Amino acid sequence: MKRLRKMLLVAGIFILGGLLGACSSSKTQSTWNEDKANNTITWGVKADTRLFGLMDVGTGQIKGFDIDVAKAVTKKILGAKGKAKFVQVTSKTRIPLLKNGNINAIIATMTITPDREKIVDFSKVYFAAGQSLLVKKGSSIKNVKDLNKAGTTVLAVKGSTSAVNIKKSAPNAKVLELEDYAQAFTALKSGQGQALTTDNGILFGIASENPGYHVVGGTFTNEPYGIAVDQGQTELKNKINKALSEMRKDGTYQKLLQKWFGNVAGFNLKEASQQ
Amino acid sequence: MISVFQQHGQELLTGLENTILCSVIALFFSLIIGSTVAIFEVLPSKFLRIIGKIYIEVFRNIPLLVIGMFFYVVVPQYVFPMDGFTAGTIGLTLYTSSFIAETVRAGIQAVDGGQMEGARANGLSFMQAMWHIVLPQAFKYVIPPLGNQFINLVKNSSVLAFVAGFDLMYQGDMIASATFDTFNTYIAVGILYLIITLPLSYYMRYLEKKLA
Amino acid sequence: MPVIEFKKVEKYYGKFHALKNINLQVEKGEVVVVIGPSGSGKSTLIRTINGLEEIEEGQLLVNGYDLADKKTDLNQIRKDVGMVFQHFNLYDNKTVLENIMLAPKLVLKRNEAENKETALKLLESVGVSDKTASYPKQLSGGQKQRVAIARSLAMKPKALLFDEPTSALDPEMIDDVLNVMKAIAKEGMTMVVVTHEMGFAREVADRVVFMDNGEILENAQADEFFEAPKEERAKQFLSKIIKH
Repeated sequence: MKRLRKMLLVAGIFILGGLLGACSSSKTQSTWNEDKANNTITWGVKADTRLFGLMDVGTGQIKGFDIDVAKAVTKKILGAKGKAKFVQVTSKTRIPLLKNGNINAIIATMTITPDREKIVDFSKVYFAAGQSLLVKKGSSIKNVKDLNKAGTTVLAVKGSTSAVNIKKSAPNAKVLELEDYAQAFTALKSGQGQALTTDNGILFGIASENPGYHVVGGTFTNEPYGIAVDQGQTELKNKINKALSEMRKDGTYQKLLQKWFGNVAGFNLKEASQQ
Repeated sequence: MISVFQQHGQELLTGLENTILCSVIALFFSLIIGSTVAIFEVLPSKFLRIIGKIYIEVFRNIPLLVIGMFFYVVVPQYVFPMDGFTAGTIGLTLYTSSFIAETVRAGIQAVDGGQMEGARANGLSFMQAMWHIVLPQAFKYVIPPLGNQFINLVKNSSVLAFVAGFDLMYQGDMIASATFDTFNTYIAVGILYLIITLPLSYYMRYLEKKLA
Repeated sequence: MPVIEFKKVEKYYGKFHALKNINLQVEKGEVVVVIGPSGSGKSTLIRTINGLEEIEEGQLLVNGYDLADKKTDLNQIRKDVGMVFQHFNLYDNKTVLENIMLAPKLVLKRNEAENKETALKLLESVGVSDKTASYPKQLSGGQKQRVAIARSLAMKPKALLFDEPTSALDPEMIDDVLNVMKAIAKEGMTMVVVTHEMGFAREVADRVVFMDNGEILENAQADEFFEAPKEERAKQFLSKIIKH
C-alpha cells in the first residue's frame, strides 16, 4: 500500500511537471523572421483529399489545389527562389502541429470558424466551400432532412467542422467520426453509414473517382476556407493576404481554380471563388 | 485538466465504459481461443499443429489496426454487417489470442513431460490429461507473461478509436477536436487508462507472489 | 492366451535400431524381470507394451489387441495395463488421494464413494494412508513410488509394468517399495519389471529376460538363469552387478 502511494505520487509529479512545461513553452518568436531566414515556408496540407491535397502514390508528391495555392503564395512572399515545404496533416492533427511549431501555416481545407479564430489567425477566404452529402447512387437520401431520422448513420472526419455541423442539422442521426476521408469513404462503401458528409469540393473529388456515388442536396452550410497561422503571427498573415490579393488580380488564382475544378461535373466555379 | 473532467465527464465515462467492456470481452475470448490454439500446437496431429502455427503467425504478424480495419470495412462489405465496436473487439481478440497462444504453449512445454506420460499411462485421454493435469500446471508458469498480455490488451483496445468504436481514445479525439485542448485532453485520457491498468498490474503481481 | 505377446518386433529411433527381432510371451500371473546393461533396450521394450513407444515392424498383442495396428485404441489398452515409472510421474497439482482417484473417476466412471473407499484401502496397503491430503512434493521418494503403485492398482489392471521403479530412490527406501511389489506379485498380478535389483528378481521372478544391444539374449526360468546363465555376456553382467 505504501509503495502504491509512492508510485501515484511519482506519477502525479510527472504529470504536473508536464503541465507546467507546456504552459511556459508558449513561443514569442516571429515565424515570418524564421521563414525569411530559411527562405522556406512549411505548410501543413492534406494528403488524402482529392483535388485539394492528395498523395500521388507513384511519385510520393502531394498534389492539389491547396498545394498549388501554397506554392504560388510562397513565391509571391519569398520571391522566385522561395521554397515551400509540405507536411502531411489531418483535420485532427493540423492545429496541434501548428501550435507546436512543426508547421508555419495550414492550408488544408480548413473552414474559418469563430471557435477556431480564438486559437489561430486566418487569412482571407481562398475557397468558398459548402457542406454537402455523398451517397450511393439510388440511395433514398436526397438531402440533409432525409438524414434526420433515428437509425440513420452519417460518416464524418474527426476534427472537421462538418462533424459539428451535421450534429446540428440532423440531430437525430448517429454520427461516426473516422480518421480521414479515405477511411470515411471506405466505411461508406462497406455500409457503416448511409451518407458521408463534408465540404462539397472534397465530395466532388471522391465522386469523380467513384462513379457509383454522387453528391446530393446542394450545400447546406457555408464553409469559407482560410489559411491559418498561429495567433500573433500577424506579419506572416499580412504577407499571405497580400499574396492572395495579387494572385486574384494577376489571374493566377483563376488559373489554378480552372486547373483543378474546371472539369468537375456539377461544380460551380463562381461560387467557389467568392471572397 | 480538471476542467476536461468537469466539462466532458459524460463523454469520458462513456469512453471508459466502452474501453472496459471491449477489454473484458476480448480478454475472455482471447483466453479461450489462445489456449485452444496452444493445445493445437502440442497435439500429436501434424495437421492441427500446422493450423495452430498458421493462426499464430498470421494474427501475430499483422498490425492490430489492419485487422481491425479489415473487420470494419471489408467484412461488412462482403460478409455481414457489424459496427465499429464489434469489429474492433473481434480484431483485438484475434490479435491478442495469437500472443496468448504462444505464451500458453511455452507454459505447456515447461511442464515436465512425465506429467503427460504418467496421465496417459494411467488411462487418461490426451484431452483429459491436458485439462486436468498439464494446463493447471502450465497456467502457473504463464501468469506473469499473461498479465503483460492483459495490460497490452487494455492499451491496444484504443484501436477502437480508428473504427469509431466510442472508446476512451475516440472520445478523447472528439473532445480534443471540439476544445482544441489537445494537451489536457490526452493527459486526462492517459490517467483514465492508468486507472484500468495500474490495479490490473498490481493484481497480477499479487497473484504471481501468491502462486510462487 | 498370453497377456502380452511380442512377435518379431522391430523398433527404430531414426537410424538407430532400438529393438531387434523381439519374441516374448508373458502368461497370466507371471512375473517377468528384464535385466541388462543401460542402453540395452529394456526401457524401450517395456514402454512399447502400453504404447508409449510405437513399433515399426512385427506384432505386439496385449490382451488380444494388436499395438502395431493403427486402429487400436491405446486408451483401451492402458485401462488394463498400469505403469510405474522411475521418476514416479505423480500429478504435481493433485493431492495423494486425488492422484489415485482421478483416472478411475474419469476413465472408469467409478462412483465417488466406491472410488474413495478403494483409494483409501490401497493407500493403507502401500503404507501411506497418513498422507492422503499431501501433495507429491511433500513426500519422500519412497512414499511417492508407493503412491504411484497404488494409483496404477486403482485401475484394477490386468498387468503392471515397472520401469526401474527403485533406481531414483535413496537406498533406505528401496526395500519399502520392493516389499509392496512382492505383495502384489503374491496376489497373482501379471508383472513385467525392468530392474537392477537382483535380490528381488531371484525371490519373485518366474522368468528372467536378459537384453543387450536391443536383443533378447537369454529368456530363462529365474532359478536356472541365476544358477547358470548360458550367455557369456549375461555371465559378465551378473558377476559385475552382484559384486556391488
